[in-house]
Amino acid sequence: MSDDATLTLTPPESVTTPRAEVSGHDPKMLISMRNIWKTYQMGTESVHALHGVSFDIPRGEYIAIIGPSGSGKSTLMNLIGCLDTPSQGEYWLNGKNVSEMDDDELARIRNQEVGFVFQTFNLLARATALHNVELPLIYGGVSASQRHEMAKSALHAVDLTERMTHKPNELSGGQRQRVAIARALVNRPSILLADEPTGALDSHTSMEIMDLFGRLHSEGNTIIVVTHEHDIAARAHRVVSIRDGLIEKDERIK
Amino acid sequence: MFRLAAIWEAFRVATGSLRANKLRTALTLVGIVVGVAAVIAVVTIIQGLDQTVAQTFSSQGSTVFTISKNPQIIKSREDFIKFNRRKDVTHEDAEAIARLCTACWRVGIAANAIETVKHGDQKAENVRVRGVDPITMFDIDGVNVNVGRIWTESEGASGREICVIGPDMLKNLFADAPPDKAVGQDIRIDGRPYLVLGVLEPLGSIFGFSRDNVVYIPYSTYQKAYGVRRSIVTFIQVQSTQQLEPAEDQVRTIMRNRRHTAPDAEDEGFALETQDVFLNLYGSATSNIKIVTVGVAAISLLVGGIVVMNIMLVSVTERTKEIGIRKAIGARRKDILTQFLIEAVTVAAIGGAIGVGTGFGLAYGISALIGFPLLISIWSAGAGVAMSSVVGILSGLWPAWRAARLDPIEALRAE
Repeated sequence: MSDDATLTLTPPESVTTPRAEVSGHDPKMLISMRNIWKTYQMGTESVHALHGVSFDIPRGEYIAIIGPSGSGKSTLMNLIGCLDTPSQGEYWLNGKNVSEMDDDELARIRNQEVGFVFQTFNLLARATALHNVELPLIYGGVSASQRHEMAKSALHAVDLTERMTHKPNELSGGQRQRVAIARALVNRPSILLADEPTGALDSHTSMEIMDLFGRLHSEGNTIIVVTHEHDIAARAHRVVSIRDGLIEKDERIK
Repeated sequence: MFRLAAIWEAFRVATGSLRANKLRTALTLVGIVVGVAAVIAVVTIIQGLDQTVAQTFSSQGSTVFTISKNPQIIKSREDFIKFNRRKDVTHEDAEAIARLCTACWRVGIAANAIETVKHGDQKAENVRVRGVDPITMFDIDGVNVNVGRIWTESEGASGREICVIGPDMLKNLFADAPPDKAVGQDIRIDGRPYLVLGVLEPLGSIFGFSRDNVVYIPYSTYQKAYGVRRSIVTFIQVQSTQQLEPAEDQVRTIMRNRRHTAPDAEDEGFALETQDVFLNLYGSATSNIKIVTVGVAAISLLVGGIVVMNIMLVSVTERTKEIGIRKAIGARRKDILTQFLIEAVTVAAIGGAIGVGTGFGLAYGISALIGFPLLISIWSAGAGVAMSSVVGILSGLWPAWRAARLDPIEALRAE
């Protein structure tokens, strides 16, 4: 564990499966989605939110997923974040096939591999910043002393050490989002998944947060931002446009 | 597996949530407190009653049985007529038993009358005047002399007007004087003066009925006053409980012989009873009441459980978003289940502890009112808290299960 202000990911301890056992999965990729469908039953009709989406994300990528509302980007984000499983297709995350995992396994993946950042921060109102950041570690079974150290250094990495005993209602919007980012990264996940991270912030604070993301990316984190705003998407190195459940465009911009 | 840290987190969240919503917590507690208090109070009172009754009836011991014309408890008018037709139990029956029964240790007779007793201008009413013979009847009755003495056998056979008084006489006839002041005095029973030879030790009262409101006189004197016509009760005491059955068999044989009872006769011609008859009557008379009262108390505990379940359901609904957040960062279903179960159990256990205290308080109040001793056991206190915790787990189970099953995506959309 480094004790300077950077928050780096440890090298993945991925499962090395023989090529013969995996189907269409590129082991060099951190994320590999193949022919992903998500279907909802609305009465007698089936509604497809995603129509067979496939793409890969290598380790260390800074990618934005952009699309209007109803495009399926939220559905895609929920699948990437393992909050949901696809109706069809395969999703490989850090060498594991998560598309067929059960509820408990998905919870573990969310705890270990995914760091969520939400538009409305989603912090626990009755807990301090430090306790909020510790929460993933509690569910991850980390010992109390280690938890404290890890949470403190996560808050240090987002420049919030002086505020660690404050409750969310004592913090500004930007500070709350930074607490959320610290919480997302405290367990050293494979990906940082942000859903409209600046949606509830003013333009100045938005820039600060996007600068933070940029710094985290340069420190080696894989960052996925889901947004409908073009100037937020433009900060990423690769932009994937989605419309009507299909990928429209996938271009590297940096 | 259940992680200790997650359980501690659950407990921390539970107490935080309870403290944040004090009014709601108080309302939840009321349900449990009332339920537990009711059950504890009822059980404690029943335990006290049972023990008091058992103690009372065992002071004469399960080593005594009686031969009488009527049973002590007559259950119907037909029975009453049947029993009245029997021959009286007499002094001669008692002598035959004393002579022939080898397993019997002490044999005595007693007959009771209710009289008003006077001394000077003082009056004691509803006094039990008990004619006894021989003086071992005092031992069979389990009474001891405090001050003074009992009459001798020859004094007892003489028919003299002598007596031994119970301590209530001191209060009612001698203006609470110490016992030695009463010895040597005269009291009047049915107009006739009786010399007080001794005063008994107090036995106390049971359910408001005083056992010290008694005057013992020799049976020969009793016969002179009331005639030989009344049936007497023969008391037989054995030395140990093992002797009881053989003694009963012997006495039964002796009595059947004396009554010339045919082997297939419907009516034996006498009643042979042990002290158990009261205990059994008490038991059967109270068992239905006990079941009903404990049942009603248990229902109120059930209601308390429903209150907890209701409050927990509201709590889960209010915290849907929080549940979504926890699931998103890695809480499994059982972590959420545990969290809400612990919250329910915590509230219920606190309610249980308060309820136990309240229940004991209630039992204390009622026992002081009716007049029997209180029997508080640590066991019931523990059982009370355990019971409320179980109620907590059961009532919290469904809300916690619902919380655990929430879809994280839906939950995050809440509020």
